[in-house]
Order: sequence, then structure tokens, then C-alpha cells
Amino acid sequence: MNRLLALSILLALPSAGAAQAPLQTLEGMWSNPPATIIGSACAFYCTDVLIDRLNALLDDPANDNKPLGQLRADASARERTFIESRLTAAAKATYPLDPADDPGLLRCEPWGLARQMFAPHQIEIRGRGRDEIELHYGEWDARRIVHMDGRPRPAAPASLFGYSVGRWEGATLVVETSGVAANLTGWRSKHSDQVRVTERFTRAADGKTLNLVATFEDPWSLREPLVLKKIWAWSPTSQIAPYDACEPPASVKRGVAP
Amino acid sequence: MRGRVVSLTLLAVVVSIRLAGAHHSFSAVYDSKRSVTVTGVVTQFRFVNPHALMSLEVTDKDGKVVTWVVEFAGRLNLSEVGWTADSIRSGEKLTVTGNPTHEPLPRLAFQRIVKADGSELRPGAAQRNDALEEERRERAKRRTPQP
Repeated sequence: MNRLLALSILLALPSAGAAQAPLQTLEGMWSNPPATIIGSACAFYCTDVLIDRLNALLDDPANDNKPLGQLRADASARERTFIESRLTAAAKATYPLDPADDPGLLRCEPWGLARQMFAPHQIEIRGRGRDEIELHYGEWDARRIVHMDGRPRPAAPASLFGYSVGRWEGATLVVETSGVAANLTGWRSKHSDQVRVTERFTRAADGKTLNLVATFEDPWSLREPLVLKKIWAWSPTSQIAPYDACEPPASVKRGVAP
Repeated sequence: MRGRVVSLTLLAVVVSIRLAGAHHSFSAVYDSKRSVTVTGVVTQFRFVNPHALMSLEVTDKDGKVVTWVVEFAGRLNLSEVGWTADSIRSGEKLTVTGNPTHEPLPRLAFQRIVKADGSELRPGAAQRNDALEEERRERAKRRTPQP
């Protein structure tokens, strides 16, 4: 009887592993954003500039007969101007990058962190042992590890996804990443290997959406920190399928807006 | 004759044809201002990522059989609107409308399929857009004071 009591107490206790603390609030499968106007606008990434502009346009009766696409384009243009205002001269020189120069398109090269984290489709969050959390993305079937053991980044060459250290602030998973090799961003710019990213993952109060707020700092490409947001919808039955049929196009055209 | 190029339509307005959730910009490959319709017989449908692909044998006006490739959204977005690996079967005769490539290649970005029995397949983006328009109407209603 005492053994049973001891076992039940042990099972009821939360794991001592740092990865396990409030993980259950985020753990599981998340997928395409909810079919809402703001959700769709944030399917890749969005800024408060875009959200505020889109809401203002939708709240203006003068726009009721304009196509939604036109309002989205207006808000996106304002967002592009905002992002450009945050770029250094070095990054502005190639902004916005031509889609025809995208190595992901031309050569099926997997994306780096600053693009992968805004990829469409699923993100699956799973604890891995006591001190790691895995972020598994549907796009490219890519996996990142967040180290929850509190140790700093070990000396290592910069890599596609860098080295991520995580901690819990209440029910928010905060992930700080550095050691990312110079690459392209999700907002059609370039970044250097000095980029540092702080991601804050939070489940919405209704439990139905996962919100990401990501802050980028990079002395080479950004004059000041850039904050981007993203939304996923809770999708427990969704499954990540193999990503094994990427084919480079036979031809591309330069100078076409994405 | 297994199929025939039916029409080449220059659209007057820019339509939203980007395959929903595309992993790259389609505009560098496909011309969003034009649509092409072809009729042919399916030789392969691959329900894969990043984009599903279909091969279609189309007989042109000179009687020459040309293999067209149709590119779709990826598995997730197609699955969300009910597609499976069996949604299109080899040997089926289909009429496909899509955006052509900038270069004159036998390749389309999917917009619409009409099967031999008249049933249609459309991108998931169309259903999503309907939901967004409904949300917009509701927002406008809430803004308007009710009598």
C-alpha cells in the first residue's frame, strides 16, 4: 500500500527537468493560422504596423467595397516601408531581394533560421528528455533543438539554425538564438552571422492559437531591433509529411513582385 | 485524340493565384496575369511536398502529344480541403486551368480542374477567401448601428 502511495505521488509530481516545466501548455502540433483576416495576414510573418493598418482600413466604411486584396496590399506596402526604415545601408542595398534569386527556389536549398521560423504550415513542439525541446517544422521537415539546461552556447562554427537556449517566463517559452550563419531572412533581406533572435512562444488564452513574437538584432543589417509576429492554430491531428520532392524550376523571371 | 489545348486567356485583372502557403514565390516562375486551359489524360499524380505534381498528356492542335506538368499547393493545404493521393487518378481525363510559366513551357500553376463527370477541384485558398470575406461582412455589420 505504501509503495502504491509513493508511486502515485511520484507520478503526480512534475518532472524536475527544465524542459518540462509548463511545456504541456505548448506541446503538440500547430498548423496553418486560423482562417481570419489577421491570421492570414500573419501566415508567414507580420508586424504591428501591418496589423494596425489593416484594422484601420477594415474599420473605415469608405473601404467596404474595395477588394480585401487591395487592403492587404496597402497594409503590406506600409509594412515594407517600415521594415526598410529599420535596415542599415548594407541591407538596403539588396532589399527587397528578388524572388528569382532565392536559393530555396533555384536550388532547393533549405532555409536558415531567420526564414525557417516564419515558414508556413506546421510547427510541432515536443519535449526531448529533461533538457531539450524540439521544434519541428512542416516546411522542409526541419528540426531545431532548444537547450533548456541553462548552459551558454558552446564554441562552434555558425550554422543554419545556430544554437538556441530556452527558458520559461511563466507559461511563455523564451528562446534566444545566436551562432546563425549569414543567410536570408523571411522579410526578403540579408542578415549577418552576428544576428541574435529572441523568440517568445505563448498559447492564447482560448488555447486555440500559438503566438510568436520574435525580436531580431543584427548590427550589420538592422539599425534597431525588428519585432515580427506569427500565428499558428492548434491542430492536434495534423501530421508532418515527408518533404522530399523539391524540384528547381526550369526557368525563372527576374523583377516580378512576389 | 486524348486532349486539346482549349484556350489561352489574358486576364484583365491581377488575380490571386499564388498557391496557398507556397514555400517560395510563384511569381518568379508563373505568370499570375494569364490563365491557360488544357484538356488531357493524367499519367501521374504525386501527392508530395513541397508541392503536389501532376503529369497530363495533352494533344495539341497538330496532333502532337505533349506532357504538361501541373503544380499544386503542398500536401497539408490540399489535405485541409479534403484532397488525398487518390483525388486524381492516372487515366482520368481532366480539364485543367492554371497560370502558365513566363517562358513558354508546358507547365501550369493549378487554379481549377473539371473532371469528366463535371465535378470540380479548386485550391483551398478559395474556401479560405470565402471565410475572410464573411469575417469582413460581419465586421462591417458590427460597425453599423442597428436601427
